[in-house]
Amino acid sequence: MFVFDPYSPAIDADPFPAYRRLRDEFPCFWSPEAGMWVLSRHADIVTALNDWQTYSSAKGNLMTELPNRAGATLGTTDPPRHDRLRGLIQHAFMKRNLETLAEPIRAIAAELAAELAGRDRFDYIGDFSSKFTVRVLFAVLGLPMGDEATVREKAVLMVQSDPVTRTKGPEHIAAYEWMQAYAARIIALRRAEPCGDLISLLSSAEIDGDRLEEREVLLTITTLIMAGVESLAGFLVMFALNLADHAEARRAVVADPALLADAIEESLRYNTSAQRFRRCLTRDVTLHGETMKAGDFVCLAYGAGNRDERQFPNPDVYDIGRKPRGHLGFGGSVHACLGTAIARMAVRIGMEELHRVVPDYARVETDLPWMPSSTFRSPTRLDLVRA
Amino acid sequence: MVKLTFIEPSGAEVAIEAQEGWSAMQVATSKGVEGIDAECGGSCACATCHCYVEGDVAARLPAPLDGELAMLDNVAAERRPNSRLSCQIKVTPEIEGLILRVAEVQS
Ligand code: HEM
Ligand code: FES
Repeated sequence: MFVFDPYSPAIDADPFPAYRRLRDEFPCFWSPEAGMWVLSRHADIVTALNDWQTYSSAKGNLMTELPNRAGATLGTTDPPRHDRLRGLIQHAFMKRNLETLAEPIRAIAAELAAELAGRDRFDYIGDFSSKFTVRVLFAVLGLPMGDEATVREKAVLMVQSDPVTRTKGPEHIAAYEWMQAYAARIIALRRAEPCGDLISLLSSAEIDGDRLEEREVLLTITTLIMAGVESLAGFLVMFALNLADHAEARRAVVADPALLADAIEESLRYNTSAQRFRRCLTRDVTLHGETMKAGDFVCLAYGAGNRDERQFPNPDVYDIGRKPRGHLGFGGSVHACLGTAIARMAVRIGMEELHRVVPDYARVETDLPWMPSSTFRSPTRLDLVRA
Repeated sequence: MVKLTFIEPSGAEVAIEAQEGWSAMQVATSKGVEGIDAECGGSCACATCHCYVEGDVAARLPAPLDGELAMLDNVAAERRPNSRLSCQIKVTPEIEGLILRVAEVQS
């Protein structure tokens, strides 16, 4: 019998064969292990993303949701509340408003890359990508330097899940609580001395004349830090892994860094770090002969839709010339990722600087350790050696 | 299915049978229409899915909401009275025959 268990280490490591069977044989599949339906075809996911009235985010969007987030953050509210909240934040994340960050981001990347000069082999995550990610996010969100290492560690723990109990374990909840306490500290700091940054603005923002609820301010900022740190860090690893594995693509982007933008889009399609999110049905829906009931949760498997040959020809081939428009690596529609512009910019600049110092590399291990997570996917260790 | 026509920046016309419930942007990008970048994925946050709506049907489109009107301030090509962000146009039977002229530049 076919099983799709998003908590199993085998799915963490390689979900793609299971995704193919889902798309071809079980396009509307009930997974008892996940306790939800799974949609895996590109067109079905796009349809669900547009119909937020039916596929609601208000009961949470993480596959394994954290306590109290439902209804209080961007990813866990529906329009019109969602749109008003997003309207408060969106401006800071628009491409044109991020341009002043390009040089500081480049300086961070160049400094970290310089430390790799002369080294034959290095720990890409520990030596480069995770340090780069937190420092970039701290710059974007205006967080005071000093707690970067702990923030990174807690953000990564928060998004994990326990493969045995199929829930969040005590260590994950503790990390979430730490992050809330951290966010509360920053909010208090900005309220005492507002400095015109995003967190100052959110801390005193109003919607229709009403102050945001304290829970909304706190969990929105907690989630911004988590989403930013974990998603960007995870994707930077997937991108380096793809370039390490595909010599032709690597040589092309090193010779012409302008091609990095296309390679980033292809990696977002080929193996986005944000594999699966969930919605909750507000009415019964019949699809591919199955009836899903109001109140049921539905997994939107973006990573599977991105390998759907009904949309992308030869989907299992990594091809940086593909220009895969309409990919679901950042989700789509009302809840599409807030951080698309900063993520694209940071990944591009980070790799440009890394490639100046380490232009040719390969991975050391064939079998990588993968993060246990029902939502996200990336290796926890990636050693690279100069080729 | 609803018939829509996109006019690419090169002048090429692309007729599409569009899926109801999708946005015009999603229809265009999934069918490979040229000239729509849609960098934000349809969350009305980038203004790179700019089109000019034409034809008799254009008058029957539901008016843009505040978020779209505000984001239209950021379009790279000239903003005209018939400027729309195609991610905010929902495909319904009422818009059968709509023509969307893709703006010549998006960023
Ligand atoms: C390459 C890196 C990233 C990837 C692959 C990614 C992926 C995603 C995906 C798939 C979603 C949709 C979730 C859903 O459908 O429920 C999302 C939403 C979101 N992302 Fe990202 N993300 C990345 C980077 C970032 C960064 C850097 C930030 C913030 C600084 C961020 C903030 C958010 C927020 C706030 C949402 C919720 C948006 C809403 O519901 O309106 N992301 N992201
Ligand atoms: S796709 Fe970004 S505003 Fe339409």
